[in-house]
Amino acid sequence: MPKTEVKIIGFLCNWCSYAGADMAGTARMKQPASLRVVRLPCTGRVNPLLVLKAFREGADGVLVSGCHPGDCHYNEGNYYARRRMEVLERMLPALGIDPARFHYTWVSASEGAKWADVVNEFTRRVKQVI
Amino acid sequence: MSMNDLIATIKKVLEEVDVVLGWTRSPAAGVAVPARFHTPDEADGAIFDSTCTHNLAVHLPRLKNSKVGIVAKGCDARSIVQLIVEGEVSRDRIRVIGVPCPGVIDVKRAWRCFGFGKKIEDAGGRVHMEGRSMPREEILLHKCHQCQDQEPVIMDLAAGDVKSVTPPPPPDKTGIRERFAAMSIAERREFWREQFSRCIRCYACREACPLCFCRDACSMQTREPHWTGGQVNAIESEMAQQVRTSHLAGRCTGCEECERACPVGIPLMLLLEEQNRIVEELFAYRAGMSLEDKTPLLTYDVNRDGGWR
Repeated sequence: MPKTEVKIIGFLCNWCSYAGADMAGTARMKQPASLRVVRLPCTGRVNPLLVLKAFREGADGVLVSGCHPGDCHYNEGNYYARRRMEVLERMLPALGIDPARFHYTWVSASEGAKWADVVNEFTRRVKQVI
Repeated sequence: MSMNDLIATIKKVLEEVDVVLGWTRSPAAGVAVPARFHTPDEADGAIFDSTCTHNLAVHLPRLKNSKVGIVAKGCDARSIVQLIVEGEVSRDRIRVIGVPCPGVIDVKRAWRCFGFGKKIEDAGGRVHMEGRSMPREEILLHKCHQCQDQEPVIMDLAAGDVKSVTPPPPPDKTGIRERFAAMSIAERREFWREQFSRCIRCYACREACPLCFCRDACSMQTREPHWTGGQVNAIESEMAQQVRTSHLAGRCTGCEECERACPVGIPLMLLLEEQNRIVEELFAYRAGMSLEDKTPLLTYDVNRDGGWR
């Protein structure tokens, strides 16, 4: 029986994904109210432990999103993040956490529509496994 | 290798260093215990056998101000290399004595079979305890069953012929790895909840780990950042271990010291082995194999990364 309301924590980079999410909002694109956004300077700031701690504190899903690789405001922050998030995602099954509850992606400031898709799709996925 | 080879090598190294880290036999426990040899007389007590399980590299960051010799098995040598790569140990302050390692045994399991404190001796591929004996390969630590590094990757002198070692024996049959691999994600969640409910937060895992050298600033204990509380319960202890595991990503050499040191027998290596496997799969990297290496999570490769999905 899928849960109707889920709580998703989003760690968003200030320069791309946060602006992209803002754009989706101002364009009045329909998206679920499941997402709680934590705005960070860069995905390079996302310590994998932030994700694990969010799960421990009861989050149903965790979404990490930043600038596309190559477009980082600080040149290289998301390159580091990409390696960390990939290791983390693959570790989740061993930790007893369904990897479907975690997603990392890249959304630029101009991709409002893509942002709405990401949130819709991820919310749907989390509802299925919770 | 005879003990005389080892003792002679230690004495030779002592001419140029302040202290040599090695093993001696504990009269009380009957097995090898770590020892520091400062003088040639002390070095006469040095031994190496399959009860020399400890990874002595853990002492190197604490002996920063002396010249140190260290007796190292193949796996210990990887820890030493990783410590040098991370700048915790300087190469010119240490002398590494490589030993040919036949694999080391799980002393706690031996004591469970034969009684605590019984003298354990190793001869002819069998482990002997007060008249009784069993084949060595039935009681080896798990890491020895899949050992790929019997020849130390870093070595100044060798005590004996480190190349002429026995090949790794077949995988062990304790079965916990097979059981864990077959579990569903929900079952693993329950599994860890049960395992960590036994954790007493003694931090022996951290103290035994050669790469957990943050000491006073360890995130398993700090209030700021407050990743995990100090309460002794399954949830906090599990988080504490997740902190440790993630800090060892791309750094763990798989020496199994954390699991060996754990007084309540939590199979911590299930997490670290999986993480090491992932790191090897993604970055074709094994920690502690070369002094030129860079820890994979402290770097990136624009051209190779990102093809993962």
